[in-house]
Parts: sequence; structure tokens; C-alpha cells
Amino acid sequence: MDNREVLVDIKNLRTFFYTEDGVVPAVDGIDLTIHRGEVVGLVGESGCGKSVTALSIIRLIPNPPGKIIGGEIFFHGEDLLKKNEEDMRVIRGDKISMIFQEPMTSLNPVYTIGDQISEAITLHQKIDAAEAKKRTIEMIRLVGIPEPERRFSQYPHEMSGGMRQRVMIAMALSSNPDLLISDEATTALDVTIQAQILDLMRGLQKKLGMAILIITHNLAVVAEMAETIAIAYAGKIVENASAKEIFKSPRHPYTYGLLQSIPKFTEKKTNEPLPAIEGMVPSPYHMPKGCRFNPRCPFATEKCREEEPEILELTPGHLVRCFHPIES
Amino acid sequence: MTEKAIEAKKKGQKKSSEDYTYVGMVFHRLTRHKLAMAGVFMLIFIVLFVFVGPLIWRLDPNAQIEGLNGLFNPASRAHPMGTDDYGRDVLARMFFGGRISLFIGFASAITSTLLGAVVGLVAGYYGGWADNILMRFTDAMLSIPTFPLLIALASVFGKGVWQIILVIVVFGWMVDARLVRGLVLSLKEQEYVEAARAIGASANRIMWRHLFPNTLAVLIVSTTIGIGGNIIYEASISFLGFGVQAPFASWGNMLQNAQQFIWNSPRLIIYPGLAIFMTVLGFNFFGDGLRDAIDPKLKL
Amino acid sequence: MRDYIIRRVLGMIPLILIVMIVSFGIFSLVPNPFAALIENPRIKRSDIQRLVKAWGFDLPWYLRFFKWFSGVIRGDWGPSLLYPGSTARDVIARRLPVTMRVMGLELLVSLVIALPIGIISAVKQYSMTDYVVTIFSFLGMSMPSFWLGLMMMMLFSVVLKRPSGVPLLPAGGIITPGLEQAPFWVKLGDRAQYLVMPVFVLSFLSIGYYARYMRSSMLEVVRQDYIRTARAKGVPERSVINKHALRNAMIPIVTLIALSVPGIVGGAAITETIFNIPGMGSLIIQAEIKADYPTAMIGLMLSSVLVIVFNLVADIVYAWVDPRIKYS
Repeated sequence: MDNREVLVDIKNLRTFFYTEDGVVPAVDGIDLTIHRGEVVGLVGESGCGKSVTALSIIRLIPNPPGKIIGGEIFFHGEDLLKKNEEDMRVIRGDKISMIFQEPMTSLNPVYTIGDQISEAITLHQKIDAAEAKKRTIEMIRLVGIPEPERRFSQYPHEMSGGMRQRVMIAMALSSNPDLLISDEATTALDVTIQAQILDLMRGLQKKLGMAILIITHNLAVVAEMAETIAIAYAGKIVENASAKEIFKSPRHPYTYGLLQSIPKFTEKKTNEPLPAIEGMVPSPYHMPKGCRFNPRCPFATEKCREEEPEILELTPGHLVRCFHPIES
Repeated sequence: MTEKAIEAKKKGQKKSSEDYTYVGMVFHRLTRHKLAMAGVFMLIFIVLFVFVGPLIWRLDPNAQIEGLNGLFNPASRAHPMGTDDYGRDVLARMFFGGRISLFIGFASAITSTLLGAVVGLVAGYYGGWADNILMRFTDAMLSIPTFPLLIALASVFGKGVWQIILVIVVFGWMVDARLVRGLVLSLKEQEYVEAARAIGASANRIMWRHLFPNTLAVLIVSTTIGIGGNIIYEASISFLGFGVQAPFASWGNMLQNAQQFIWNSPRLIIYPGLAIFMTVLGFNFFGDGLRDAIDPKLKL
Repeated sequence: MRDYIIRRVLGMIPLILIVMIVSFGIFSLVPNPFAALIENPRIKRSDIQRLVKAWGFDLPWYLRFFKWFSGVIRGDWGPSLLYPGSTARDVIARRLPVTMRVMGLELLVSLVIALPIGIISAVKQYSMTDYVVTIFSFLGMSMPSFWLGLMMMMLFSVVLKRPSGVPLLPAGGIITPGLEQAPFWVKLGDRAQYLVMPVFVLSFLSIGYYARYMRSSMLEVVRQDYIRTARAKGVPERSVINKHALRNAMIPIVTLIALSVPGIVGGAAITETIFNIPGMGSLIIQAEIKADYPTAMIGLMLSSVLVIVFNLVADIVYAWVDPRIKYS
């Protein structure tokens, strides 16, 4: 068990979207704990609610159509869902920062890099402009961008995607947050740049010690970085364990399927096709009865089609939501 | 991401109910658009008014019914909207004026959209110097204040319905040309056009069978909004005295005629103006809803 | 940048030539005004022929165009037919200030009102304010200007009267006769009364147009990723809108204003006719139906050049507000 102080404790979070075509239970009872300095991976296919969870933490769910309808998000022991907008704003970008998927569009095209980073700094720290500029340049250097003084006065369009994502990281870390949320931050980048950005995040995490919530659809991204991994499916967490456990002995059939679909280069060449999980993510308007994974599950029984399983701690620290977990 | 997630979810749902065709989907969205529905009701009312009205209220719009004693009669049972300066029944004139205004609006909007589509198709499809010349010309036409020229043309060409339609079309095609050209530029890069070219389809065939149908949705929106604008154009031309000529009524020339009696018979101004206003508003509401249903990002 | 402007100015020349030829061609369709004089027995045939020749009506239209055009190049815009004894340039110059005053005020009033309400309407999308703004915008866009003018006139010049029996607002003209020599402030107040209705009518029509456009431009920007980034770093909502969104949303508005100039001139023509304002708009229409092509041509050229110059200015402003655009 982790004996570090609990930083974030999400309990039964439910965030729904009310669209013209019906109600979408994007997040339907997610529980997640992040300790101080811990790197947690939240993994799942698109539409499983992982990004909505992230936006719920910093309370930036676009409303309408989205609304957090239930649950609690404790941060340093205080429920973020009970805070008013102004208190929340002060936390955003200061104690909790977030970086997004699209580095090409996530920076404002009409302001310089320097302006945008120092804005984040002056918003949360009482320092003058000269000081903020010094700190900005420091941050630009810290995220490994060469010639920080020159970059300071450049515009986003003058930079590559990888560089822009570094700028986003510099901005996010400029106030020394306790939690950094990375929402598919490397997905849009080339594979080599992806590795560089992940390396950078890992290095900065060691140096600065913040907790990171990495949200991705790609297990390989969190493989080397995350201590704990939570697997989400159709708005719920289906498995939550240490990274080692997840990779060594996945218990939920969905996790198992995800792992099977990652190509392994260590094994001998075979002509076998890569196994894929059969079927499609269920339509959010028509969630299947019983276990939400049952239509795609090779082990599903009558019970799975009727009842919804609770999440259970099978072995210490290993939680699984399944009636028929795979034997380790 | 949330936006996209919702989008993805919407798509997922659409798949589960395959019966939604494109037209069905547009119709579905349209019926949920409050303003568009308000527009539809206004237009239905107007159409019933001008087409069914004369079947019930059978008075000759051009007859000086009450003779010289019946000029400027206020509203009465015999004449619900009163009589005008020649003693003609205003209600009957409103019916027939409306028919002419609506006809001019429709015909000119459709014709100018088609003309614009041809220019845009040719410019976009051929590119190069054809595009250059056509678009330069379009830009020049867009920078001329069209209204004074419209008046000049109307003053020369005469005052018939067809002439007025022609005049409005001459100055009404440019925006559509630009729109279609932009669409064609992106459409012609798509695989199916490449494929059509590869199997040796003629330029004409590609333009009309493959490209044009893909611009139709946008053109329908543009035509709808255009009708309203053109009804105002017709009314403005008539108002300045160059439009449909007496004794034939159009809402525009009824207004022009009434202008001199503003001091003693203001109702003569109120009715035709209100009718124009309502019709144009109806088309604008409906066109806006149609645009939202087809493509909210369309700049029209 | 300088090279770009020079190139653009050179590019205007063919555009202006096309405008000239098209307008001249249309005006040349208006029948020769001197032909009618033949009916008058008191005018000598030779005199008529002399007039026809002097005005170039004996030539085909393209030769007349060249005759007129060679004069224009030398700075001679020709005599006015409508006002014998004056040059066309002087006739226009007398009328221009009035139109400029009305048009300038209209543009100012409508932008000052339309842009803020468009922004509010977008920020509070689907609110009561948004609906009211939307409805009023549509009312304005659908209103025939001359009808609105007549209705206003009925209300303020016929129905509503001051205690002294004088109409609340003058029905037409630009200044009360006899006040031409009055002190500046008296004259200003008097002229203002005459401007209220025309400016209101014209503004009411364009406010809706600008407000709708501002609204949709703003809605477009507010959905962008960089707005979410700004919120995620804790920027207060007010500066999310005023600093991060507005500058981006204003970019397309600049072009819209440039493109709406021809419409303003057309609107001015009608409004001036209704309110009996001796401006350029009504002058152009009088001139063209009387075949006074020199006068009508100056009027049209002025507004076309205005449009083209506005477009150039719009492009330069683009480069100024949007660092992504570089002209070289």
C-alpha cells in the first residue's frame, strides 16, 4: 500500500452530457486516488470518459451541455466540487495544471510564447513583470527549448508541434503545481517527439516532484512512467492496480484484451494477426444492461448480462470490476 | 476533447438509428430550430394570404370600385383595408402585389444562384486564367455599389416583371460564385473526382454530375436567404419609381404611391410595408435555420 | 510590407478599370438626353447637334468611354449635365460632405452598438439576452429601409409634436432654413436633429448584420482549444473573453466592414431620397437617370475606390492583429 499522503481522491464522480439526442453518461461513477508525487495512468478507448474525468477535476466541463451531477473530488482534503468559481480559478494553473492533446491549437495564435507563459506566472504569483520574464525564460530553458531568450518573443506558429507542447508544459509547471494532468498530450505528435516529451515529463517529475495524471488510450505511453494504472471502460473504472500488476497479471478481460493488442517486439516473428477486442464501444445512449463490457467479452455469462459487477479488491491494491476475473 | 467526445458519441448514436438519411437529418434539425419554425409559419401565412386570399376575396385589384366618392376610404366591411387614392380595394391589391413580389423574389434568387454556381464551377474547376479573369470580374462587381447601377439598369430596361428579375440577377450572383468556387476548389481534390477523371469523364460531366450536387445544400441556403433580400431590392426599385408599373400592384410600388399620402392616409404605408417585412423576416428565419441544419459554419 | 502595399495598389488598377467599364457601359444604355430636344421647335437643330457632339453622344459608347477616360487621366472629370455650368467634380464635392457625415455616423453608431451586443450574445449563448439580440438582429436585417424611414417619419414628424406644435423631429432636409448663418453650437444642435432619423434608420439595418456576424465569429473562437488552455491556467473569465478571444474574433470583422461599404452607399441613396437629404447617394441616382454620366461616374468611382481601399486596409490590419500573416 502507498503510505504517501493522498493528494486527489475522486469518489463516485458522475458527469453527464445533456444533448439534443439524449443523456450521455460520459463519467458514471469513477473512483480514483492519486498520492503526492505519484504518476497515475488513466487508460481507455476514446469515449470511455477519461478526458471528461480530467476536465471534471479542474471543473472545465462545458456547461451546457455537460454537468457534474454527483460525487466528490477531494484535493488536499477539500471537495473541489463544493468550491465556487473564483476559488476554483485560483487553483487552476497554480495547484492543478493541465496540458492538452492538440499542441497546434492549444496556444493562442495572436500572443507570443513569452506572453502566454508569463501570464500564467503573474496570475498566480505576486511578482513584477521583469521577474516574471526571468522566470518565464527559466521555464522555457527547463523544458529543453534552445535559445529561450529568442523564443520568448516568438509566436506559436513559428514553432513545431513538439516545441509547442514543451511550451504548454512550461506554462503548466510555471507555478509548481501539485498535480499535472496530461490529457493525451503526446497523441498528436510523431513517435520520436512523443518519446522526447515523455522523457521530459519524467525528468521534470523527478526534479519537481509533482503528481501526474496521464490520460491516454495507449498503454505503452504509461508503461514506463506510471506507478499506478486505472483502466476505464464506458464511464467506469474496470481495473486499478500498480503498473507492474497490470502488465504482469491483468485480471479484467478488457485489460487483457488491451494488452494483447499491443505489438511485442521481443517475441519471435509470427504471422499471427494481432488480436483485437471484438465489437465496438457501446453507444453512450444505449448502455448495455449488466456489465458494460459484456457484449464484447469472451467470458460473459448470463449473470454478466443481467447484473452490474461491483469493483472489488481481489488482492491488496488490485481492484477489478468483473464477475469472472482472469486467474493470475 | 469533450467536444469531440460528444461528436463521436452523437455519431455512434446516429449509427444505431440508420434510418436517418441526410435529408431526414436536416429536416430533423430544422424542426427543432425555433426561429426556422417561426419562419415557416410566417411564410405559410403569407403564401396562403396571397394565393388563397383572392379566391375568397374576389375583387378586381385594379378596378376603381367606389368611383370618385370612394377615394381613401378607411377600413370598412366592404374594404377591410380601405381604398387607395384611386378608390381601389387595398386588400385585393395586397394579394396581387404579394404574388408579384414573391415571384420576383423567387425567380431572381434562383436564377442568380444558378448563374453564380456556373461562374463558380467554371472558375474553381478550370483554375488558371479562367479562374483569374472570372474572379477578378467578380471582385470588381462586388466593389461596385450595386444599388445605383440597379436603378440605372431598371430605368433603361423598363418596368416589367421579367426585366426587374433580370436586373436583380445581373447584380446578384457574385457571392454565390465565390461560395461555389471555394467549395469546388476543395471538392475537386477529393478521390471520387480524381476517379471520375481517371475513367475519362468529361469536364462538363464532372462539373454537373459530381461537383454541382455537392454544392446544392449550400446553394439552397443561399437562395432562401437571397429571396428575402431580393424582395427588398424589388421593393426599393419600385419605391424609387423604376419597378413594376401602375396599374399593376407590387408591394413596393404600393409603398411608393402611398408615400405622398403619408400625412393623411398612413395605413396605405403600413400594410404593404408590414407584408414585405414579414415575408423577408420569414425567409431570413427559415434560411438561418436551414444553414444551421446543413452547416452552421457556413458564412452567409 | 511596403512592397506588399505597392503590389496591392498596382493590383487595384485592373479592378478599378473593370469597375469603370462596367459602370460606364451600364450608364451608356441610358438614352441620349438631347434626342428629346428635337421635339422642341424653339431649339435649333444645329445647336442640338453641337451639344450631342460636345457630350460625345454621337460616338459609340466605347469611344465615348475613351474620350471620358482620357479626360479623367488628365484630371478632368467633365461637366455636369444635371447642373449646367458646374463641373461634375464640383457637383459631387458639394454633396459629398453630407453623405460622409451620415455614413460615418451610421458606421460609428452601428459598430459601437453591434460589436458589444454581438459579444455578449455569444458569451451568454442561449440566454434571454441572446434571444433578444438575435430577434432584434433579424428584425433589422429584414426591414426595408425606406419603410422604416417612412414609419419613423410618421411617428416623429406627424404624430409626435412638441408643445409648440412643431414636429418632434424634422421630416427631411439637413438644416432649418435661415439658420445657415447661426453660431456654431446652434447650427450643430439643429443639424443633429436632422441626422437622428436617417442615422437611426441606416444603423438599425446594419446593427443586426454586424451583431450576428460578431456573435458567430465569437462563438467560433470560444470553442477553440486555446480558450480552454487560458481557462485551465486560471485566467479570469473576463479576460478570457476580452484578451484571449476578442482579438481573434475581431479578425474577420475587419473584412466584413470593408465589404459592407457598397451596401452603405446603396442604403444612403434610398435614405437620402426619403429624408430629402442633398447627398451623394440621391445625386448619383438623379444623375444616372438624366444621363449625366460624368457626375454619376465620379460618385460610383468614389465608392468603389473606397471599397477597394478598405479591403487593402483590412488586409493590413489583418497582418497587425494576426501575427501568422506575413506579407512579403
